[in-house]
Amino acid sequence: MSLDVLAAGILAGGLYALIGLGISLVFGVLGLMNLAHGELVIGGAYLASLLVVDAGWDPLAALPLAMATMALIAYPLQRYLLTPLLRDSKSAPLVATFGLSLLGQALFQAAFGTHPKALPASYADTGLSMLGVRVQTVYVIAFGLTVVLCAATHLVLTRTRAGSAVRAASADPGTAAVLGIDVNRVYAMTFAGAAALAAAGGVLTGVAQSFTPSSGLPLLLTGFAVMALAGIGSVGGVLAAGVALGVLQSVSVSLFGGGWRDVVVYLAFFLVLAVRPQGLFRKAHAA
Amino acid sequence: MTPTPTLRRWWPALALLLATLVCFALGGVLDHGALDLGVTLLCYLAIAQAWNVLAGFGGLVSLGAAAFVAAGGYAAALLLVHTGLSWPLAVVAAPVAAMLLALLLSAALLRLRGDYFSIGTLAIAIALQALIRNWDWAGGASGVSLPVDSVPSGGNLFQLAVIVAALAMALTLHARHSDFGLRLAAIRDNEPAAAGLGVAVRRHQLAALLLSSAITGLAGAVVAFQFVVISPDGVAGVSWSLNAVLMAVVGGAGTVLGPLLGVVVVYYGLTRGLQNEQTLSLVIEGVLLILIVRFAPQGVWPMLCRVARRLLGRRSPSGRPTADRGDEEETVPSGTEPLAVDLA
Repeated sequence: MSLDVLAAGILAGGLYALIGLGISLVFGVLGLMNLAHGELVIGGAYLASLLVVDAGWDPLAALPLAMATMALIAYPLQRYLLTPLLRDSKSAPLVATFGLSLLGQALFQAAFGTHPKALPASYADTGLSMLGVRVQTVYVIAFGLTVVLCAATHLVLTRTRAGSAVRAASADPGTAAVLGIDVNRVYAMTFAGAAALAAAGGVLTGVAQSFTPSSGLPLLLTGFAVMALAGIGSVGGVLAAGVALGVLQSVSVSLFGGGWRDVVVYLAFFLVLAVRPQGLFRKAHAA
Repeated sequence: MTPTPTLRRWWPALALLLATLVCFALGGVLDHGALDLGVTLLCYLAIAQAWNVLAGFGGLVSLGAAAFVAAGGYAAALLLVHTGLSWPLAVVAAPVAAMLLALLLSAALLRLRGDYFSIGTLAIAIALQALIRNWDWAGGASGVSLPVDSVPSGGNLFQLAVIVAALAMALTLHARHSDFGLRLAAIRDNEPAAAGLGVAVRRHQLAALLLSSAITGLAGAVVAFQFVVISPDGVAGVSWSLNAVLMAVVGGAGTVLGPLLGVVVVYYGLTRGLQNEQTLSLVIEGVLLILIVRFAPQGVWPMLCRVARRLLGRRSPSGRPTADRGDEEETVPSGTEPLAVDLA
């Protein structure tokens, strides 16, 4: 086992963590399984492509704009469509997000066509040497950005008033509402934040590889795998789970060949779910 | 003009039997295109009903129907290709394989609660698809071709599909009218209360999972015969799982006739009717789903029932206990409140 394989796995895991973080946030706080998260990710990539491909921006410059736009799109979706459904039957919100996922794919098809797109950048294909290990530059950037975004999410959740409101609404929405927290607003803000994280993941994914309107599903599944590994309520756990998944994937590819990367990941995903449904990295009490 | 209790109890079964016989006879009359369309609709119906029994009545929302379609389809196909058995035996092997898979996974799956069950079934379906891609004996990523002259086609395949769909409808009727179904619905609506009243929770959920996967596996065998070329993308694709949910929920999960309506609306109306307008079809499917869960969360069929009853001016007497399960629409709403609490 060479160090290159390990390093590539760790770095790719950063992207997985970024995608899983939004899913985990929405599920942890709202109890909503968002089947449209993959489309939020790809939506971020397509939004950035408007600036990068057509106006010649650097993807990293387009990234904050893509994040903000996706958040603005996501806020009303949660506030006026999904939150009212959370009170209804069990499968209603799940089905609604599935509907959003189909709608998103259709919009991407209509607006951008079905041809694969990528975000061109000077660092998309280059490599660099770190401590004697060859790695792809874009994954190093993605990993660094993921760590920053994870840390920011953690700090917002634990050190700010808004974060306290989110954690209160997550622990007990009824009591939080009695104490004067606008739970519906908190839900919408959380969903918008998750969409912004998804968009960031989408822009970085778009630089690393090409994407099509239907690229969302595999990303969604990877995100679920990260969430299942991490459990709910720990940002650090999400980062660790993403890295674990990335390493597992890259090691199994080098041992068994490219065809086995998904088998190993999904089987691990299921086994962890079956043995420890609360996740590997969950804290003793949920945040 | 109330029917006598015996008649009331038996008319759904009689209607099903009559419909099955009529459809079976149609197998000799319809032309090739209609038979092909019929087989597709009947397969979707069987898969949607199997999902309905598990999720609509049992409360176990599965996102992994594709795993059992694949188990049944591949079991039947591999037996035909590698052993040269006749197709009726291969058909029998399909539900057995699907049930074995369900039994193997049940220890892990039934430990999972609520959304975790959904994620777990999704993981199973995609893991199985990825496994098959790497399994050379099963044809790997490109799949296997069935010997065309040893699989049923045309009228025979249609009649097989009619039987499979009829079994699925019969299972749904059983889930709705039997004590078994009542206990299953009790678990769905309030598991601790049901357990407290002496319902064997795990055993009933296991039974629902096994029966549902057997029907799904049977439908998988029919799908395999219809496709002739069996590939991981065709028979084990995520779209089977998603379509099952889509069709049952659009029509009305937890009702007997809802999924039937859902299959016709979603497949015939959207997928087939708009097959040259893929983007438009996707837009309509997405918007339709959102509108339905927002404004008719119990599905289209219960809504139609309510409208029809209002037009006829025949409202169900309010004093009637909910244990009377004669009216189609009344199974679902009672269960929504406790579940909403679980979500929080």
